[in-house]
Amino acid sequence: MKRYDMIVVGAGPAGLCAAIEAAKCGMHVVVYDENAKPGGQLFKQIHKFFGSKEHKAKIRGFKIGEELLEEADALGVEVVLNAVVIGLFPEKEITVKIEEHVEHVKGDTILIATGASENMVTFPGWTLPGVIGAGAAQTMMNLHGILPGKRVLMLGSGNVGLVVSFQLMQAGCEVVALADAAPRVGGYGVHAAKVARCGVPFYLSHTILCAEGDDHVTGVTIGEVDKNWQVIKGTEKYFEVDTICLAVGLSPMSKLCDMAGCDMEDNPAKAGFVPIVNEYGETSIPGIYAAGDVSGIEEASSAMIEGRIAGIAAAVRMGFLTKEAGDAEFKKQKTALEGLRQGMFAPGMRGKAITQTEEGVAISKNLLEHGFVAEEEIERFPGVTHRKGIHPVIECTQNIPCNPCQDACPKHCIKIGSKITALPAVDPEVSCSGCGMCVASCSGQAIFLVDEDCGDGTAQITMPYEFLPLPQEGEKGIALSRSGEKVCEAQVVGVRSAKAFDHTRLLTIKVAKEYAMKARFFRREDAR
Amino acid sequence: MNDRNRKIGEYIPAPDDDVIVCRCEEITKGEIRRAVHDGMFTLTEIRRYLRTGMGLCQGQTCTRLVKGIVARELGIRPNELREATGRAPMRPIEMCILAKDKEEKE
Amino acid sequence: MRIEEHPILGTYKKGEIVPFTFDGKTLEGCAGEPVAIALKNAGVMVHRYTRKEHKPRGIFCAIGRCTDCVMVVNGKPNVRTCITPLEAGMDVRTQYGVSAEQPDKGERK
Repeated sequence: MKRYDMIVVGAGPAGLCAAIEAAKCGMHVVVYDENAKPGGQLFKQIHKFFGSKEHKAKIRGFKIGEELLEEADALGVEVVLNAVVIGLFPEKEITVKIEEHVEHVKGDTILIATGASENMVTFPGWTLPGVIGAGAAQTMMNLHGILPGKRVLMLGSGNVGLVVSFQLMQAGCEVVALADAAPRVGGYGVHAAKVARCGVPFYLSHTILCAEGDDHVTGVTIGEVDKNWQVIKGTEKYFEVDTICLAVGLSPMSKLCDMAGCDMEDNPAKAGFVPIVNEYGETSIPGIYAAGDVSGIEEASSAMIEGRIAGIAAAVRMGFLTKEAGDAEFKKQKTALEGLRQGMFAPGMRGKAITQTEEGVAISKNLLEHGFVAEEEIERFPGVTHRKGIHPVIECTQNIPCNPCQDACPKHCIKIGSKITALPAVDPEVSCSGCGMCVASCSGQAIFLVDEDCGDGTAQITMPYEFLPLPQEGEKGIALSRSGEKVCEAQVVGVRSAKAFDHTRLLTIKVAKEYAMKARFFRREDAR
Repeated sequence: MNDRNRKIGEYIPAPDDDVIVCRCEEITKGEIRRAVHDGMFTLTEIRRYLRTGMGLCQGQTCTRLVKGIVARELGIRPNELREATGRAPMRPIEMCILAKDKEEKE
Repeated sequence: MRIEEHPILGTYKKGEIVPFTFDGKTLEGCAGEPVAIALKNAGVMVHRYTRKEHKPRGIFCAIGRCTDCVMVVNGKPNVRTCITPLEAGMDVRTQYGVSAEQPDKGERK
């Protein structure tokens, strides 16, 4: 029987990071993944990640996947694809289907990093072709280059629903509405804001009543729900769509842990049925570890750190790393993990209503209820200041663990400080060169450069732009507000792209100066 | 959920009873609700009684949905219900492959 | 519909264009891409009709988990088309129920 120092099940962010750490210490590691491509969901993530610079923030997910694979490969990690682990037994043996047979493999340590599966909701017509999971939409457009549909309704306002809505528009689909049964937007406000300013209406407290169509989806009816989730009569709204995309949460895919005999718990704070693990990710069975979404739904950034911790712990257990060296490394990773588990969206905050930021600023209610910060709310946030000449306007209004903007400014005009969740503030004493590095560095696309008065009655706004076709300098179009409504006419006066911007183009538009703090997006004249 | 004498009342038809829950075996919400009233109080029993989660996909989509429906019918929280037993094979696999262990050469 | 150029991903690396048949009709797709993607590009939404209710199903999860997109491929039923790479000359058929049996070959079960 084949034997490895470590068997990793799942080649996603957690599994790859664990394999990398273990292999660095000299362990002989194999990673099995049931898919034809490694990387888990990373290769479908085309947005820039949040977090700290040290932990791959502002790098797009698929790039992180490429980096991890290269690193694992260089360290001699064996990654076996199309390898379906069908059984895991307490004596640390697995059965894995490879090609047309089953192999039995023994591991001195095993890491389960099987990730999550998508939750679904039922409604009449939910089995019709055209009703798809958000992951399916990402797979189609980001991996295979095909549009999931022309007109899409998204259900779910968590980060997946928001991010995928934006990606659908980047691919060229029209997102006709975003609905969620919850009364408040579940995901990051900045993700919601970039969807809303493209003109997607948010329907909170709305659920799908039925999908229409005989052989495939031709339309959808949504309706408003009351506090007891009952549909309020007369609130039905019909949309002509060919695709309904469901993004209603994820569940840990932990059956393998259960089968191995690990102690399990059904913990709503971890979003489902998970193995009970200690701070090293070790389950109740010594030598069997779990990391990433399988042990509690979180972001890919935390999955990567959990994976590293488990890899280090396995190396210590097997004597490939001294206890002292392991402890030092563990402490470093633990600090980083704790840093990510802070702020308004930390695992412990699930379901809690927040009224104020850490700085004591009242949060934007409109952002939670409609997906964008209202004009009368935006001024109270520390990133929004006014001065003569060009300067950054940072519309970052929630405490999330993210700080790349702080280092982006070569003149250090953006301050977050040591607490990674703090809202970025603009230092009015430092001049702005208008280089745009902050605009491109913001994973939430929440930074704008504004010159509120150019002296000729106009103002200029520079915004991040990630759509095609790219508007041309001189082109006329329409400026849209934070809610995606028409504000005024606008003219493109600059289009910048640079390697350092990583595919985010910087679009500068000119509008009448009274719209300097209203115009936040540009629509080409020939667009819908 | 071992309390077999638990009173859960009569089965009352609901307007969404005919919505499919288990996509593979085409089991409706109403069938699952009725099964609870027939005395199937655990997820393992429901699975054996109705074949929910026993079709081609092996419960990938409906496991969580079934759990929610059964819990609601019993008047408890979903996390109070024990998961149905997990067994190998974890994924659909053809019997001819399952029965074919790789020959050891070394 | 294929995405010609993506603002972040640029153009997609695709295999050569190959013919395959869907219910006897010749279609084209890119070799190596999932059969379901080639069908989607050709506008095919319905992959199968269910056993009990004879309801249409198509792509749902697109990663081989939900098994909704299964079809009869080269005579073999229950093939997950979303993770089966397209090959030139493949014979892809709508699946009725859970077997390879086609409706014109007698009574549907």
